[in-house]
Amino acid sequence: MSIKLLFQLSIRNILRHRRRNLMLFSAIAVAVAGVSSANTLIRGMQYDMLNSAVENLTGHIKIHAPGYRDDPNIDKGFSLEDGFTLPVEPEEMLGWAARIRIPAVIMSERETRGVQIVGIDPASEHISFLSDVPIDGEGLTDSKDGRILIGKELALQLETRIGRRIVIITQGIDGKNREKGYRIVGTYDAEGKTLEKIYVFTGLASLQSLLDSRDVTEVSIRLHEEPKKPSIKDMLSEVFGNLAVLDWQELEPMAAAMYLFADSAIYIWFLLMMSALIFGLINTLITSVMERVRELGLVRALGMPKRMVVTQVVLESTIIMAIGVLIGLVAGYLIYLSIADGINLDAFAEGMEMMTMSTRFIPVLVWDDFVLVAVLSLVLGVMASIYPAWRAVRVKPLDAIGR
Amino acid sequence: MNDIVVRCEKVDKTYQQEAVPVHALRGVDFELRAGEFVSLSGPSGSGKSTLLNIVGGLDRPDAGEVTIDGVDLSTLNENKLTALRLMKIGFVFQAYNLIPVLSAQENVEFILQLQGVGAGERRDRAESVLASLGLKEMCHRQPGELSGGQQQRVAIARAIVTNPVLLLADEPTANLDSTTTEELLTLLKNLNESRNMTIVTATHDPIVMSYTTRQVHLRDGAVALDPKAA
Repeated sequence: MSIKLLFQLSIRNILRHRRRNLMLFSAIAVAVAGVSSANTLIRGMQYDMLNSAVENLTGHIKIHAPGYRDDPNIDKGFSLEDGFTLPVEPEEMLGWAARIRIPAVIMSERETRGVQIVGIDPASEHISFLSDVPIDGEGLTDSKDGRILIGKELALQLETRIGRRIVIITQGIDGKNREKGYRIVGTYDAEGKTLEKIYVFTGLASLQSLLDSRDVTEVSIRLHEEPKKPSIKDMLSEVFGNLAVLDWQELEPMAAAMYLFADSAIYIWFLLMMSALIFGLINTLITSVMERVRELGLVRALGMPKRMVVTQVVLESTIIMAIGVLIGLVAGYLIYLSIADGINLDAFAEGMEMMTMSTRFIPVLVWDDFVLVAVLSLVLGVMASIYPAWRAVRVKPLDAIGR
Repeated sequence: MNDIVVRCEKVDKTYQQEAVPVHALRGVDFELRAGEFVSLSGPSGSGKSTLLNIVGGLDRPDAGEVTIDGVDLSTLNENKLTALRLMKIGFVFQAYNLIPVLSAQENVEFILQLQGVGAGERRDRAESVLASLGLKEMCHRQPGELSGGQQQRVAIARAIVTNPVLLLADEPTANLDSTTTEELLTLLKNLNESRNMTIVTATHDPIVMSYTTRQVHLRDGAVALDPKAA
């Protein structure tokens, strides 16, 4: 089969109806540009949800004592030996942090709120949102720091401020309440107000001292790459056989569901856009075939096999789609570049927070998505040509050349 | 005899025209030897085009046997029949029927491309045939830029470039003026004489018949007069 001949015929036939095919290229390009640029937004949303979920003290993987998630108290803690190091290669993880996180009551002179008090070693918290947020006043200095860092929103609710004292009441290892006054060292300004209202931070050793315990309630691990998570999680499950090793999807099922939905959304969006387009392509190809009944009959009469006629129609469709897709991908990339700095969604801050997303929406370009759009479009182009090709081979040479 | 190019034995063909059967051919017996230049003539509806189409493998008879260059067409499936048309038969149609998106030379090369002939040989053969038909200067023109006579000559060039066993021409001069008709018929006669090419043409034009070496007359789907048979 002479592919060169078929290319020659296909290209000439496309050029023959320039205006009509120009419209078709434009329609394909607009759809592909729309899909590919929308994909960068969907990926942006997806990655933002992942980052938010992972940074909000969750990490990619977390180790708890059994039962802690149902009853998060210090008696559901576990101990780490002095000088404990996590058995994960340093190049595979960003870092890890041991913490105590337990419910507490915080009281100012005027208000009382329920919070989670988190005992941290500030040196390890480069893996959480604490390393990124702006802090008024000071941050905690070390694990023994007995002061407290609270959210800005909580400070407003408690009608207190930096330098004032608040009282924390929580339950010690013996089940009895512990009460301690803390001086507010600083207030942090997190992406979402929810975080500011829930979490208050103090030094890990200081909190252990208050609770009369050497235990921690969690070890949070942040990896460099999400795809390596399953193998590391399996390894940790073996090492910490008596503890619960959970990944962020198990800890944040809502965010995980949204993350998965984003993958599906890319396909759904693609199919919606391209399905509408494909009928236009089929229509154009059928018109093209019907206009050329005589020619198709002629080439069949002269000895062109049916498979070559089919290939020619498929090739025409594929070339039309390929040109449209190429233009569309370039346009989609340019759209991405124009919004690459991010879109400000402050106006929808509350809604974005509910979806565990930040208010600055940064699109993310995943080249695989561009390749996916290109490949699926070409597959659709081939599929769209099946019916027109079938019509083309049904042309009887004798009927056609007599026209 | 092995110089028989076409043999038709008791060929019948009936069409349904608005549920009414039309007997286009009734028991036609017809033989054609290599190097003959034959005209099939007769009034409209006499069956000459039908016979030409059946001989050319474009249509199949309802009954009877047709062999081309010793090959029984009834034994061939559609793909093999297409291949036989490509390799053994050249066609010249009444309405020129050139591929409009290809130049004159590309139209001629088209058949060679289908046959799988290499680019260099293809170009040489196409140029040579076009030059022999006086179309050297027209090689790169599109069909729309050629006159009717020039288009028909390109169609003939396309038909003969493969050196077919048989050249079939269905009223090839029907759309041409008398001068161009004479030129074209001279061309066909020269091909017949110089290359010993076997040519069958369907026509009802006496001028065309005068150029052929054998005139077969059909009437009501049957051979009414065939000097060879007589």
